[in-house]
Amino acid sequence: MRGFVIAAVWLTIVLVPGLAAAQEAEALRRELEQLRRQQEQAQKLIEALNERLKRLEAQPVPAPASPGPPPPAVAQPAPSAPAAPPSLIDLARPRQPFALYQPRGSGQLLFDMGVVGDFVGNITQNNVDQADGGTFPGRENRFFPREIEVSFFGQIDPYARGEVRIEAAEEFEDGTREIHLGLAEAHLTLLTLPWGTQAKLGFMRSRFGLLNQIHAHDLPQVDRPDVLVQFFGEEGLRESGVELTWVPPLPFYLEALVGVFNGDNEESFGRGSLKAPLVTGRLRTFFELNDSNAIQLGVSGATGETEDRRRNTVVGLDLKYKFTPEGWRHPLLTIAGEALYGNRLVEVFDDAGVGEERRRERFGWYAYAEVQPWQRWLGGVRYDNTQYPVEPGRQWAIEPYIAFMPSEFLRFRLGYKHTERSHPFAATSGQGSARIVDEFLFQASFILGAHPAHPF
Amino acid sequence: MRRIVTTIVLLLAVGAGLPGAAVEGADKVRVVTTIPDLKSLTEAVGGDLVDVESLMRGTQNLHEAEVRPSMMLKLRRAQLLVENGAELDAWVDVAVQGANNGEIVRGGRGRVEAGRGVPLLEVPSARVDRSMGDVHPGGNPHFSLDPGLAPIITQNILDGLARVAPQHRAAFERNRAAFLSRLDEHMGRWTKLMEPVRGAKVVVYHPDFIYFLTRFGLVQLGTVEDRPGIPPSPQHLVTLIRQMKEQGVKALLVEPWNDVRLANRVAEEAGAKAYVMASAVGAVKGADNYIAAIDYNVTTLVKALAR
Repeated sequence: MRGFVIAAVWLTIVLVPGLAAAQEAEALRRELEQLRRQQEQAQKLIEALNERLKRLEAQPVPAPASPGPPPPAVAQPAPSAPAAPPSLIDLARPRQPFALYQPRGSGQLLFDMGVVGDFVGNITQNNVDQADGGTFPGRENRFFPREIEVSFFGQIDPYARGEVRIEAAEEFEDGTREIHLGLAEAHLTLLTLPWGTQAKLGFMRSRFGLLNQIHAHDLPQVDRPDVLVQFFGEEGLRESGVELTWVPPLPFYLEALVGVFNGDNEESFGRGSLKAPLVTGRLRTFFELNDSNAIQLGVSGATGETEDRRRNTVVGLDLKYKFTPEGWRHPLLTIAGEALYGNRLVEVFDDAGVGEERRRERFGWYAYAEVQPWQRWLGGVRYDNTQYPVEPGRQWAIEPYIAFMPSEFLRFRLGYKHTERSHPFAATSGQGSARIVDEFLFQASFILGAHPAHPF
Repeated sequence: MRRIVTTIVLLLAVGAGLPGAAVEGADKVRVVTTIPDLKSLTEAVGGDLVDVESLMRGTQNLHEAEVRPSMMLKLRRAQLLVENGAELDAWVDVAVQGANNGEIVRGGRGRVEAGRGVPLLEVPSARVDRSMGDVHPGGNPHFSLDPGLAPIITQNILDGLARVAPQHRAAFERNRAAFLSRLDEHMGRWTKLMEPVRGAKVVVYHPDFIYFLTRFGLVQLGTVEDRPGIPPSPQHLVTLIRQMKEQGVKALLVEPWNDVRLANRVAEEAGAKAYVMASAVGAVKGADNYIAAIDYNVTTLVKALAR
């Protein structure tokens, strides 16, 4: 037993250090192997960086004042993988859509912002002032902010685009003037629907006719045409609902639109319920006669119920022609116009106070021609002629104007408007008379930041 | 009236039933580019397999486009939209919105930004605002007519074409290689031609040519525009003319869509001459494709500066 123990101790003393040495050698070998791999990787990295440096050096020198040696005509293409469509996991991953966009550098927003300032003014006769019968009722002989608008717009995600506009303006209500802050528009557009369709949902300016969808600061004249103001009010047809457009694959351009809205328009469609919605429609086509001449034609319709639950239907036709000489940066001549026909039921009371439902068929139109011989200056004239949608009578007006645009983002307009009404009461809410109105109109508007390109 | 309505309804019904390709009557990849330089490069890569249209013409100011429904019609049928990027053709977004074509919306499979990976020049190093005119915060976007950048641009186009027509990738790659090889041959000749005028100073109307000038070792002394997109003030012109005289500038380069008369007057006052350049493919007669446009510019400059 004693001998066995001695042998075991001896074996332990002799073998353990040997085993330990063998393990250490193995660990060293592994470490060396790892170092060799790392060296190979580092070498590969250096080679890749050298390659990249060569490519960068082959591209233009970013110092135009001191040109360097001529780079080779054909530089190596920069590695550029196409943007792969986002996977479901990508889409599900939490994001901060309104945070600053870090990957492209700090300071970049994920959407565009713009501010529009639109100031208008007018000078007119005292009697018109007293009657609140001018183009801007209740704000005669004043210079005021008509539309100070802050807008945010951009892609929401790969499938939709959003736009929000908040505006402040001086308004006249119940005999008082005050600055009113409110929502001008807020909507999203689904861009990737099938079969050439697109849907716009939210609170928007309806695409009825030519100018209803245009914001006040972008109008071709200082004021909105009389027929549109008479039929749809000073704000125009601005509604909450949905618009669906379809561009069929035809050899010519055709856009078909149908809209369904609450019906919140105080002049024509005030029912305000989807149980009796305001339904709109529009067909728009375009002919490019040649590179210089182009014409757009449209037909629109809207049917809904008035505030007192009576059917009202308005149909419109519009046309716009532009002549842009070859190489010009702006059109030399623009001719456009719109005609509206209204068919509505109204309640009329006789002398005894007995009400009777009657049908009112009304018509109105406007047309304007504009000449822009220089980039900074243009001049034009607009003619308006419209019946009143409910009351008897009509009015016509003529408005010559000039505009000066120091840049794309700043504009001044000066106009003169002569209006004649068949009945003085038509526009009077206070005292005095406003049958004949002469006004000098002026406008200054600016754009800060982003503003989308102007359509035709 | 009834007949007209019936005809319209029939047209719509037929149109709705037909796929876009059937209307076109062709089996090619339908590509729309924003500017004609990209049309020419796309044709070079796509060859017979593509049918390319450009929304703008070379004679137009590429910054400013009036978005016409005819653009929307082209985009409605497009499988691929190739845009320049760097804010030169940001107007195309409005046209795309009216085209109702989900394939080419921003982020879509059929959208190509040609300038991706291009190292931009004149990137502002300080805060910019509109008091400096129509500045591009990301850098100068007029890179498309720099032959040295054609490999990057055509690679982006190739990637886009291969996304919508992967079966033709090999053919696109062959076309691109052949085009770049041709361009390389021309580049050797252009470099040789420009060697004697290397280092010469020129004045431009709008900073359209900075990439081209840098490529061939020329120096842009100044611009007729006081600030980009803003018509020049008399004071600025007086200073510019004085500088041109002092520095012995022989050539003032102007785009066909800009004020050529003013360019002529300034050049005359400074003892130089104004030259209408191919600011884009198709901008002047004889600049009908990418190589021809660069050739026109090289030849014009060599003649102008050798006077």
